[in-house]
Amino acid sequence: MSSRSPFSEMLATLIRQRGVVGSMVVSESDGIVVDSNLQIGVKGTVVAALAASLYRKARLSASAAGLGEATFLQLEAERGRVFAIGRNDLVMVTVAETRANIGLIRVAMLRALEDGGLG
Amino acid sequence: MSDDVRRWSDELARDPSSHVFLNLGEALRRQGQTAMALKVVLRGLERHPQLAPAHDLLARIAVDRGELERAFDEWDIVLRLSPDNAGARKGMGFLCFQQGRLAEAERHLSAAANGDPADASIASALAHVRDSLGAPPSVPQHEADAPRAGAPAAGGQDARTVFAGVIGEGYQTALLLDGDGLVLAGAYVAPDGRDVAQEVGAQLSGVSDEAQRAMRHLELGAWSSIVFETDAAIVAMAPAPRGGGLLLVAAARDTPLGFVRRLLGRVSDRARQWLEDGA
Repeated sequence: MSSRSPFSEMLATLIRQRGVVGSMVVSESDGIVVDSNLQIGVKGTVVAALAASLYRKARLSASAAGLGEATFLQLEAERGRVFAIGRNDLVMVTVAETRANIGLIRVAMLRALEDGGLG
Repeated sequence: MSDDVRRWSDELARDPSSHVFLNLGEALRRQGQTAMALKVVLRGLERHPQLAPAHDLLARIAVDRGELERAFDEWDIVLRLSPDNAGARKGMGFLCFQQGRLAEAERHLSAAANGDPADASIASALAHVRDSLGAPPSVPQHEADAPRAGAPAAGGQDARTVFAGVIGEGYQTALLLDGDGLVLAGAYVAPDGRDVAQEVGAQLSGVSDEAQRAMRHLELGAWSSIVFETDAAIVAMAPAPRGGGLLLVAAARDTPLGFVRRLLGRVSDRARQWLEDGA
């Protein structure tokens, strides 16, 4: 568990979702972890850098296509999922197992963003 | 931009008959606030039903919202009010092109090119359509070649129209990119009618590798899809059937996520078949 930061409560809310093994706030431009709440064994720093980069690419491609701001990103793999949502050069990243409820996590992350979770 | 919106809103409140609703609606549309933009332009049209630029704006908003039939109807009205309007012809041409209705696209784009010969995007799209139809290009060769898909046509089909039969009538588009982000097949026509396939491909180059690396570090196995939502669209990606590339599908924002995933599956099947035919 991280020390108290402006993001602690939001990250704690996300980690309580079923199947979630980690949630982080990452700087989009350099992939550095700003705050995290991870289960033991989750490689936060590496995932943060890669997730931030993926989110950045999605955001830039959306901009290139004239599709407006990218909001929510979801990556699916054989044994898990990664979710990302961003604002103000910060990206909230959540890592979850396949049993996680996508809809609930999506709503929780969008709500956190709406509530000013990333400023 | 928000200052402009405020200024134009105030101006419109002071003088509801002002044409400033066109600026306001366009600004809101560009910000992705299509519902608000629609409201503004519809109110404007109540006062100015014969104003061609207002119908043109309404058409573009309709495209953003995936209401292609409505967009087509509005541009049709523009042409009745202003028969030489190149913008309306261009919009209708791009819509037909996106839907694989190449003969109609050629007719509209040809008229648009006559009305606005300086618009390179019209000339380029027209060259591609004529190329697909087997007609000789009437634009300079460097323009015709510029945004061309990188792969040779398989089975005699233009690489740009490979997914036309799969993606259907709505605002949906599909692209097949190689491992370097270069376009192999498909087209990406943005809501404003521009073909942005190359730009999108360039921005997404390396996504496949990065997703693979992230999954390896997380020990989550191979990645199967990435879906991201934007103000105006839902974009779904999957690994290309072969060669480390990427497959991409975009649909209007209000398209159900489950449907977009199914569409991605169908596009993947089509890409696999096309690559096998061309091998």
